Amino acid sequence: MSSPQKEAFSAPTSISHAAQGQAPSKNLGVRYNCAQCGASFTLGKTDSIRCKECGHRVIYKARTKKMVQFEAR
Amino acid sequence: MGAKFRTLEREQRFQNPPTDQSVYPLLRDAVSPHIGSFNALTDGPDGGLLNLAVKDIGVKTIFDSGDENRLGNKLKIRVDAVQLARPAVAPNDKLSVSRRTFPSECRERMVTYRGKLMMKVAWTVNDGEEVSEVRDGGLVPIMLQSNRCHLEKMSPKELVDLREESDELGGYFIVNGIEKLVRMLIVQRRNHPMALIRPSFGNRGNLYTKFGVQIRCVRPDQTSQTNVLHYLSNGDVTFRFSYRKSEYLVPVVMILKALVETNDRAIFDGIIGSDTSSSFLTDRLELLLRNYKAYNLNSKNETLAYLGDKFRVAFGATIDVSDIDVGKEVLNRIVLVHLPDNADKFRMLLFMIRKLYTLVAGDCAPDNPDATQHQEVLLGGFLYGMIIKEKIEEYLQNIKTQINSDVSRGVTVNFNDRRYMSKVFQKVNENIGQKLQYFLSTGNLVSQSGLDLQQVSGYTVVAEKINFHRFISHFRMVHRGSFFTEMKTTTVRKLLPESWGFLCPVHTPDGSPCGLLNHLAHKCQIAVKASDVSGVPAALAQLGVSPVDTFAAGPKMCCVQLDGKIIGWTTHEQGKLVADALRLWKIEGKHNLPRDLEVGYVPPSSKGQYPGLFLFGGHARMMRPTKYLPLDKEDILGPFEQVYMNIAVTPAEIVKGVHTHVEYSPTNILSILANLTPFSDFNQSPRNMYQCQMGKQTMGTPGVGLKHRSDNKLYRLQTGQTPIVKANLYDDYGMDNFPNGTNAVVAVISYTGYDMDDAMIINKSADERGFGYGTVYKVEKVDLGQSRKRGDPITQHFGLGDDEWPAEWKEKLDDDGLPLIGVKVEEGDPICAFYDETSGRTKVKTYHSSEPAYIEEVKLLGDEAADQECQQLTIKFRVSRTPLIGDKFSSRHGQKGVCSRKWPTIDMPFSESGIQPDVIINPHAFPSRMTIGMFVESLAGKAGSLHGLSYDATPWSFSESDTPADFFGEQLRAAGYNYHGNEPMYSGATGEELRVDIYIGVVYYQRLRHMVNDKFQVRSTGPVNSLTMQPVKGRKRNGGIRVGEMERDALIGHGTSYLLQDRLLNSSDYAQTPICRSCGSLLNTQKSVPRIGSLASIRCRGCSEKLEVITKKGVYVNEADIWEDGHGVKFVGGDDTTTVAIPFVLKYLNSELAAMGIKMRYNVEPK
Repeated sequence: MSSPQKEAFSAPTSISHAAQGQAPSKNLGVRYNCAQCGASFTLGKTDSIRCKECGHRVIYKARTKKMVQFEAR
Repeated sequence: MGAKFRTLEREQRFQNPPTDQSVYPLLRDAVSPHIGSFNALTDGPDGGLLNLAVKDIGVKTIFDSGDENRLGNKLKIRVDAVQLARPAVAPNDKLSVSRRTFPSECRERMVTYRGKLMMKVAWTVNDGEEVSEVRDGGLVPIMLQSNRCHLEKMSPKELVDLREESDELGGYFIVNGIEKLVRMLIVQRRNHPMALIRPSFGNRGNLYTKFGVQIRCVRPDQTSQTNVLHYLSNGDVTFRFSYRKSEYLVPVVMILKALVETNDRAIFDGIIGSDTSSSFLTDRLELLLRNYKAYNLNSKNETLAYLGDKFRVAFGATIDVSDIDVGKEVLNRIVLVHLPDNADKFRMLLFMIRKLYTLVAGDCAPDNPDATQHQEVLLGGFLYGMIIKEKIEEYLQNIKTQINSDVSRGVTVNFNDRRYMSKVFQKVNENIGQKLQYFLSTGNLVSQSGLDLQQVSGYTVVAEKINFHRFISHFRMVHRGSFFTEMKTTTVRKLLPESWGFLCPVHTPDGSPCGLLNHLAHKCQIAVKASDVSGVPAALAQLGVSPVDTFAAGPKMCCVQLDGKIIGWTTHEQGKLVADALRLWKIEGKHNLPRDLEVGYVPPSSKGQYPGLFLFGGHARMMRPTKYLPLDKEDILGPFEQVYMNIAVTPAEIVKGVHTHVEYSPTNILSILANLTPFSDFNQSPRNMYQCQMGKQTMGTPGVGLKHRSDNKLYRLQTGQTPIVKANLYDDYGMDNFPNGTNAVVAVISYTGYDMDDAMIINKSADERGFGYGTVYKVEKVDLGQSRKRGDPITQHFGLGDDEWPAEWKEKLDDDGLPLIGVKVEEGDPICAFYDETSGRTKVKTYHSSEPAYIEEVKLLGDEAADQECQQLTIKFRVSRTPLIGDKFSSRHGQKGVCSRKWPTIDMPFSESGIQPDVIINPHAFPSRMTIGMFVESLAGKAGSLHGLSYDATPWSFSESDTPADFFGEQLRAAGYNYHGNEPMYSGATGEELRVDIYIGVVYYQRLRHMVNDKFQVRSTGPVNSLTMQPVKGRKRNGGIRVGEMERDALIGHGTSYLLQDRLLNSSDYAQTPICRSCGSLLNTQKSVPRIGSLASIRCRGCSEKLEVITKKGVYVNEADIWEDGHGVKFVGGDDTTTVAIPFVLKYLNSELAAMGIKMRYNVEPK
């Protein structure tokens, strides 16, 4: 069991995102689904947690499209 | 053997849930006491219990004059009506498409499922025209599936569409996302006077004896008031009641005289009747009446005025009410409140006095308050209503106090001004809903009156969904009251024959709640409505019962009472006939008699229960169906009447002329869970109790809609199966929707030695095929708004900020700062990131568990107003739990065991047909436990799997002449197997045939939720208690396991002193400490300040002398002998110190003793 990582300084492996001059996109590209009607949509950082279709207040994060891989033993 | 697998049926039902109604009506019946009692609050001919309650509260009178001699304007205020709305979204919410709030949303958002309480407050000024206003009483938690719930009467299809189980039962509340229910409580049977002998009655005061008659009277709104009559050794009788938690004692004759205009002769006749031969009675009555003469009160009004004067303060009566009216109010609110009419109260009181005298004379036996006969069930809904009533009364009281304080502070009070009134309403706390939410979430009863109940806490429990057995049991659970849990005597815990068919004899936990926490038998119902008993008096009159005003009294005559009201007298011979006729008529459905009328005929006996004919048709009674033999129809029985009836258990044992009823099935006495134990009639009874407990701890299937739940912890069995051997009730209750275990091939053999002492060996290949594989779902809530105060701006935002943060966070987190669904997290991994504005840094919450888990779900939760950005979310982790060595399993016969090895298949024994067992258990598990049912199940399971059939395992379906061993033996023989279930087997290791035949069959195995991964505890060094320097305790804190006194004794007994020292000292609080050799003190030693050229030394402060003192004496001191403490004070001497090893607590003990002025001295050797 690895111990919790200490928050010591470590040199950033990639240049910080801010330094790259990226404007923070409002839309992060992560998709969400409404718990009630199942509508799929994206959310901005400051958007209120409301389904865009039915106004429901519980929203699930959709499963990622990225590859998630573990060692299968 | 009617059991079937019904696999396709079930699969189709899951694909297309029924659009009409549930297939399992029995499940509905199981929770109906809860739902019915809640529905009764708002349903009914008189507008529901809540409206009856506000009527009973009545009017509060307030005057606007602060002057004592002047009354001023009179304001009469009352609550006219109460309404409860269905749960809805807030009125200012413009975004929601549907106005309705559904339970699934409340579970996921961890909020309360609640609806608005509306009170119509009405008032008049100076008895003028009544004005009213509807006030908002806050949001009250609503019971699921009740008539205030959206799910009521929905079809399984609709329920599934709303993210509920297809057969959602309801009966519970959702409070802060947690499912809570009000548990049923056993209380005294209402409206029936009970004769008691209690030594504690004697402690009431001088002359008081142990004899009493107690009656718990229930008002139409289901609130109750207990009245007790006490017998005094001088023959007198006192009437006791408690009002707002204080006790009052009144001579009973005073009550009698206040109730009706009466005289001593009438009282004498009403108690003694025509039989004046007993001088015991006449003497006592003479004393009773003579003693009362001292008060010198004769007429009814005189008595009422006297009472009113005494109780004016306690009842808070205003000065405009006369003493007589206060007296009437006392009688109304306190004395036999179930009877509206004073003449009825008078007669009932006379009856109670006679019962008391009979008890004292020893002519009747005391009633047993622990017997079901004298008990009923306080239902959750009724209790809920009682609390609402009390809170509404408190609300009116608060209005009164508010106005009174306005008057005394000199604020202009104008009752006719609507603006003033609304100002008053605003100042008073109107949020009744919040108080109910507090009640449900804590189970604590905050009450002025105590509600006539014996406990203040423990009214609610969490409806845990560990598996379906656990869940359903909550709703059938009845508790005796936490008052009895501390009682030293065990009489209340006894299983009495009276509870036959009402309380399950098997399903009670072992240990401290044993016998106090019972479960209802599965056919037992609780009346949630009063039956229509309006036809009873007419039917009785027709049967020749003489009217109430007959000159009759005492146990020699048969008194006929209906729900605590005397409605006539008859002879005992007649009484028996009347009872029989009533029963016949009610079952025939004639004469407007309800089927569930309880006809309790108590026959005359020598010093037995006080005789009479007692009819009951009220709320909260326990009821159960049996077959009435003369008509071959269903009769509904109650526990009061059952005691005096002859009910055959099976049709075979009916004796003509003796039995009037027969049980529909002997299994009716068992609870739902006890019924599910296969062949439980073959087991030793405690084993069945154990199974009822273990069934509830099984890692099974809590439900199907797990995706829409956010419970803290959920257990789930991956490959649940339907048992091959199951009772028919298993299917009737739809248990297959929530499978609880797996069928396993079990060999009873002592093999490898790893199955000793209740250990079991699991076939490694079975494990790899998924035997007993389970999952634990854990939910963590992250709330960024928690540290923020209301109204403060948001400073923490979910997501990754623009500052620098470790790039490896991105392995687990998405662009939105939330974890990737499906990613594996280990201890220390980030589970969500947020940007903190105040520090300008991105922070993460980390995963804190040594077990790796997978992110299953991330749910973003909107707040109530839903106009903010995301501030709270829940993350669901999936922890996989393959069976490990140390995990607990059990069969359904109380045979639990721990997995000790996963044995390779190649080394497992095999039978001639090549079958290898999934599980091996030791034969020694059987002789002392006598769980023959498990053998039978094994046999039946084997036969079933060979023929592809499911077998019925209902208890009492076999007999001595038709044994299961023979039945299943023949099945086995037909399949080409040994009749007895034994088979020759071969050693997996050597291939040789084993010298005995092995009993091998198929048994349903449950995996229990106690798993090593949650239990193992290991420590080398770690955190210590700072006071004692000993290791802390507790697995959570990485503490140690105590080597206690008994372990110490064992080590001493073995003479292992080195080990003892290692455990108790070296591995605990070993400490080296300086000590002074000369004075033997541990506390006086200290380190000197090192001087240039020398090292610091340990000196005893007590043995050294201050340098200045010595120099004053004129003694020469060598410079090298001087030492200095931290303050620069110089000393000489005290250098006779050394270092010893001690347990650190000794130092602590030393200091504690020093604080008390006790000095400890240690002799240090060698010198």
